[in-house]
Amino acid sequence: MTEKKDSIEVHAEPSRRQTESEAYTPLVDVYEEADGTTVLEVEVPGALPDKVDVRVEKGVLTITADGRLPEMGSDYTTTFRGFEGGEYYRAFALSDEIDRERIESSLSNGLLVVRLPRAAAAQTRKIEIRQG
Amino acid sequence: MQRELERLMGRGLFGESRQIGGGVYPAVNVLNGPDEILVQCEVPGVVKGDLDVSITAETLVIKGVKKGPKDEDELKYQRRERGVGDFSRTIVLPDRVDADRVQADIDAGILTISLPKSEAAKPRQIPVT
Repeated sequence: MTEKKDSIEVHAEPSRRQTESEAYTPLVDVYEEADGTTVLEVEVPGALPDKVDVRVEKGVLTITADGRLPEMGSDYTTTFRGFEGGEYYRAFALSDEIDRERIESSLSNGLLVVRLPRAAAAQTRKIEIRQG
Repeated sequence: MQRELERLMGRGLFGESRQIGGGVYPAVNVLNGPDEILVQCEVPGVVKGDLDVSITAETLVIKGVKKGPKDEDELKYQRRERGVGDFSRTIVLPDRVDADRVQADIDAGILTISLPKSEAAKPRQIPVT
């Protein structure tokens, strides 16, 4: 099995899906890299690339994913259930410093990674002091 | 059925499991079918090479490590929910299985282990004469 990463398209139009009130809130790590890029790592086990949706609208990043497990049928009894697959939903407010045009997203091993680069204008710029 | 459940819970069906992020990890499902037992394990972000699945008689052990991003020291975390580290789960299976035919596959962060039952464990119809 290849360990390739699938790119997930980031949409700019508003979502047509209703708020997933029955959806799980996926676990997420948020960190900032040295150059100011913010990275989200979202756990969406069971979700294949065509079932993941990443959208940006009016400064809100919305992630939805369908990680439902395939039906096993009535021949199978459940000895123990520790998790249910299901729908995932989580939304984040984006700071103005993020360059919305360059948001990238990829999915691998049930982990969605969203990269939010900092806009050039928002980069910390060191100001040289001229000798005068 | 009730007694079966009590036996499983009382005996610590799931043995030791290391905790990551305050919970028991990884979450598992154990399904019992006519010809096989199916164990599903939720391991998002864990790669195949970091998983170790082994079986001894009726005991299945799933071990592995969930790694964080490289060069973690250069990162500034704003939120940390996922957890990283070693994990291990021990599952006592409800029926006897054929160890030679056990298969494990991983897809989209879900590890699925198929354990075909040994002939003696399959239901057999007994005619009433």
